[in-house]
Amino acid sequence: MKPRVGFFDFTGCEGCQLTVLNLEDELLELLELVDLAEFREVLTGGGGPLEIAFVEGSIVGPAQEARLRAVRARSRFLVALGACADTAGVNALGASRDSGALVAAVYGPGAILPELGPPRPVAAVVPVDARVPGCPVDGAEFLHVLQALLVGRAPELPHYSVCVECKLAELPCTFDRGRVCLGPVTRAGCHARCLAGGDRCRGCRGLVDNPRSEPYYRILADHGLTEAEVVAEFGLFNLAGRGGR
Amino acid sequence: MKIEVRHLTRIEGHAHLEVDLERGELVACRLEVAEAPRFFEAILVGRPAGEVAPLASRICGVCSHSHTLASLLATEAALGVTVSEQTRGLRRLLAYGELLQSHLLHLYFLALPDYLGAPGLVPPAPGHRELATRALRMKKLANDLLWAVGGRPVHPVTPCVGGFAAVPEPGVLQGLRGRLVAALPDLEATVELFGGFAYPDLPRETELVALGGGGYPFLGDTLVLGDGSPWPAAAYPEALGEYLAPDSTAKLAATPRGAYRVGPQARLRHRFGALSPMAARTAAALGVTPGVANPYRAVLARVVEVVHCTEEALFEIDRLLLAGLAPEPPAEPRRGAGGGRGVGAVEAPRGLLLHAYRYDEAGRLVAADCLIPTAQSLGALRGDLAAAVRAFAHLPEPELTRRLELLLRAYDPCLSCATHRVTRRSP
Amino acid sequence: MTPSPSGLGTGEAPAPPWRPVTRPEIDAFLRALMAAYEVVGVQEAGGRLALARLEDPGRLRLAYPPRVHSPKKFLFPNWEKLFRFRLKGAVLLEPERAAAPRVLFGVHPCDLHAVRTLDDCLFEGQADSAYRAKRDATVLVGVDCEPDPHCFCTSLGTDRVADGFDLFLHRDGEGYLVQVGSPRGEALLGRYAPGVAARPEAPPLPLQPKRTSRALGFPPGELAPLLDQRYDHPIWTELGDACLGCGTCTLLCPTCYCFTVQDRLHLDLAGGERLRTWDSCQFDQFARLSGGAEARAGQADRQRHRFFRKYVYLWEKHRRAACVGCGRCSRECLAGIDPTEVLDRLHGLGPGAEAPVSAPPGAEYHPQLATLVSAAALTDRDQHLVLRLPEPAEVAPGAFLAVSVFGLGEAPFTAAAAARDGREVELVVRAAGNLSRALHRLRAGDTVGIRGPFGQGYPVAAMVGQDLLLVAGGLGIVALRALVRAVLARRLEFGRVQLLYGAATPEQFLFREELAAWHRGGQVDLRLIANETPAGGWWGPRGDVTRLLRDLDLAPERTVAAVSGPAAMYRFTNPLLLRLGVAPERLYLNLERHMKCGLGKCGKCRINDLCVCECGPVFPYSQVQHLREAIER
Repeated sequence: MKPRVGFFDFTGCEGCQLTVLNLEDELLELLELVDLAEFREVLTGGGGPLEIAFVEGSIVGPAQEARLRAVRARSRFLVALGACADTAGVNALGASRDSGALVAAVYGPGAILPELGPPRPVAAVVPVDARVPGCPVDGAEFLHVLQALLVGRAPELPHYSVCVECKLAELPCTFDRGRVCLGPVTRAGCHARCLAGGDRCRGCRGLVDNPRSEPYYRILADHGLTEAEVVAEFGLFNLAGRGGR
Repeated sequence: MKIEVRHLTRIEGHAHLEVDLERGELVACRLEVAEAPRFFEAILVGRPAGEVAPLASRICGVCSHSHTLASLLATEAALGVTVSEQTRGLRRLLAYGELLQSHLLHLYFLALPDYLGAPGLVPPAPGHRELATRALRMKKLANDLLWAVGGRPVHPVTPCVGGFAAVPEPGVLQGLRGRLVAALPDLEATVELFGGFAYPDLPRETELVALGGGGYPFLGDTLVLGDGSPWPAAAYPEALGEYLAPDSTAKLAATPRGAYRVGPQARLRHRFGALSPMAARTAAALGVTPGVANPYRAVLARVVEVVHCTEEALFEIDRLLLAGLAPEPPAEPRRGAGGGRGVGAVEAPRGLLLHAYRYDEAGRLVAADCLIPTAQSLGALRGDLAAAVRAFAHLPEPELTRRLELLLRAYDPCLSCATHRVTRRSP
Repeated sequence: MTPSPSGLGTGEAPAPPWRPVTRPEIDAFLRALMAAYEVVGVQEAGGRLALARLEDPGRLRLAYPPRVHSPKKFLFPNWEKLFRFRLKGAVLLEPERAAAPRVLFGVHPCDLHAVRTLDDCLFEGQADSAYRAKRDATVLVGVDCEPDPHCFCTSLGTDRVADGFDLFLHRDGEGYLVQVGSPRGEALLGRYAPGVAARPEAPPLPLQPKRTSRALGFPPGELAPLLDQRYDHPIWTELGDACLGCGTCTLLCPTCYCFTVQDRLHLDLAGGERLRTWDSCQFDQFARLSGGAEARAGQADRQRHRFFRKYVYLWEKHRRAACVGCGRCSRECLAGIDPTEVLDRLHGLGPGAEAPVSAPPGAEYHPQLATLVSAAALTDRDQHLVLRLPEPAEVAPGAFLAVSVFGLGEAPFTAAAAARDGREVELVVRAAGNLSRALHRLRAGDTVGIRGPFGQGYPVAAMVGQDLLLVAGGLGIVALRALVRAVLARRLEFGRVQLLYGAATPEQFLFREELAAWHRGGQVDLRLIANETPAGGWWGPRGDVTRLLRDLDLAPERTVAAVSGPAAMYRFTNPLLLRLGVAPERLYLNLERHMKCGLGKCGKCRINDLCVCECGPVFPYSQVQHLREAIER
């Protein structure tokens, strides 16, 4: 019997699930390998034990926590899919402000919404076996993680920084173009796509295991960033961090 | 009789549907939006102009290009940036690409299974493999267009304030042009497939709002209201009111004449005459007219738009190549870094999308308002659901439930992005 | 036209001819070449310069700033398939790989020098056949350069080349003079640009001195002796503090070739490929050992290693600095680390062998299949495996084998016993990672990939007639067990054999029964010590193995010592043994590192300038006592 795989979305933009669906060349072959048991966005039905559950989005509030725990309980492996699940991603930016004021600002004074608490990474609620970082995830990396779990090996992510992939793509350094870039401390695996597109790295894949923060701060300072700006720069996708730290 | 569907499948985002019938009479019909709020407008505040669009894109993974474009237009309007014709052309190409991938995802993966009686198109049931292969082939072409122009299908990287940080190599566009032409047989098969289904009849006259201006626009600054009258996009708060419903984290919108709807049928209502030649022929073949809109037939309106955007993408590529596509520096703000207010209006796959921003003198965003298509159509959807319950109450419960789900999916709601409702105070 | 580098620059023709050529003629030459070769050159793409396959001769830039990738990109690519494998028994057809014919058109002199450094390193010993195949099939056409502010080639004498190319284009006014550097170059010109080849020779241009704004303030010959005295200079800490560890310097360096090897599975999970990709000594975890310890944990150590490798180790080996002064490392360094600045500050204070290849390309990385004869648990995490080799091999005690499971990768394991009848070898596998856990799951009759044996083991012949003092810590017993087994095979030829063995807990002693039997039989004098005894039931001494060295009686003049354990242990055992009178050249240390390729190529196991897999893992202390990375870490 083919291993059963499910996809679950919580608080996020569903772009990572879409990236999985965008694996047009691989999707049908992939489905020869696994049984797509649950994928609410494109599939009716579900339930039952799973070999692997891919969880997209941050976890907000008790109802989502309970739903996540139920998924965990019937899954052998649980994978955080994408930045929102891995580090709380951009969702965490909203949580850094006073939630009452936030509701008032967004829904008008007097609006009452249930108190839900901050968006949290999946690992802050249940144990996570593997992660696919990025906003959105890289389709090929998702496949590698899935393959590794299917053959019983621990999935590995690159331990070097985005600079490596930027240089391999023969791109000019973003700092040379007068913009700051989180590439030197951000985990590679995205093939430096933002940089190839003329943009800068905002760190959506999270930091490398041992970021060389001290020299990096100095370089940011040399480029005229204040301490608050450095913190804001790091916090864009890494405010909550892995495991809600 | 009580009908309850929790975590509705094959839609973007989470919603629960509850219907209460007593002896064939509708007591209550509730569509509960069950997405946690993400407070995007508050997240955007304080960001420098160049950093707003990449964040705004994260509102929605399915229409990240539309959010990016609306955000850039709003910022450019606020700062007085005038972009080149090449930039406008490439942006239209992005809009076409996104509409294609979104509509194709809806048509084949979300809507089609209902008409095939399958839980989904992937994994394909025996006998559906060829359909799935065709769907994936067409979707891949749309995504490849987004790869080439936007740098990525989800959350684009090349569009920036004033233009594009990188433009595709002409050879890449030529290759895509060839593939678009080669995809025409797939389009024909798609038209035939969806033209062959029976759609429930639910004639409903609803206020339909779309982007105005010449042609069949996807980027613009004028709206066209239900009665066909033009309205400046910058003055949208006076035309499109909104209210908060207790059972929804998405805000609802209404015109003075009541709930309104945006999307493919709204575009066709007002810009039917501007359809591309192939799309006009498709509309005629499918019986799609600008007349009274049956929301179930929004599926066919999408088929017409898929044909339209394929043909327009071809024209656009030809125009860009003829004009000598080349990298160009982004256009600079006319008024220096000074502040200002601006509204960006685009037609996202699901309809009219507005971003309105105000910037301070230092070029930082101080207030934002985003009017999301699904949020605008939500009021009309509720009305249509109630009407459908009344119209089909005589049917057995499974069939009634099916028709309600069918109606919901025909709206192709995107609830993950509908929940970033914004301050009522206009920026 | 014989595509062999041995034809390059041998000076068969006394005076290689120079002939005038115009740019239109060069374009026509390129167009003709493109019919038979992949032509690679510098061109603009997406608003930047890149070294890439040329589609249109008109786009080739012959005058370009040195801010592009070096020929390494094509000669030693970042992403190279070593071989394919299948997980299920199906026929695997793979062509003997031959590299596609290719012309690198427009290579700067410094980069031509860099290719020779790559030759030095990759042809040395067991030649890297994947590199060799590409090198043989690649025609090099050089071109004059214009230095930018980061170049310092003039300091290293790499601003011009006399040979090492097939053709070279010298700028001469509006046109060029093409210099022939090899018979292959002459033949190419004759076939693809006959008009130029038939043209009368022109007199060679006088040497044009280049000017670079950066330069070393002293002759390059002083570099190696200078750095040798600056191993502990504070500048390394400064560099370590500034360095981002991004690896840009080594990735762009035209002579850096350290690599790592990984398995990529096909989508259907039925097979995959073993790939090699560039690695960098500047990366976090580059020198990580199994178990997690980091051999070069600090960025200062990593930067020092880079400089020593460039200017000392390879210079001592090949008499050629591995730096060609191209400036790529400083040009792209965000932290602004500039070699001329570093070297000047340090100063202020104070043609490669071409081994013949007979094996098919990639064969040195291609494992053979060994069959598992038996597997037995030694402890709760250590498994004793006996493998039957496909061909008889002599496995010296201390040597290691590279064992691979396709799909999971490859790792080195020290032999626990020399091969019985040359066909069987014993290993101890501790469950640590994916691979070792997979090995634990094997059953008799299963097959694994195997390469080797590799490395220099214990010199058993030189120990004859001597007393042996063997000191083992933890897994270090594995190599010493192999040594004892070799000694027992000819026990009468040796004097007294003492084995001191320390483990963390009594449960973790390996081969305890076997060792005890040797002791009971009077063949080996065994002493065990355990650090902790949580489970009780231990009547032996407690503490670490150095305690056993305190009250030892031995005759130092006829004792050979062999110590095998974690490197940290040597810091404590070495002084004690030296104090007991054991001579440094009679003290053997087992310095196992992560020996990835076994061929002295990948750079993973390097201790300063030594490759552990080639020269070790067993070293006399006298050979390594000057190597700071050997014992200090």
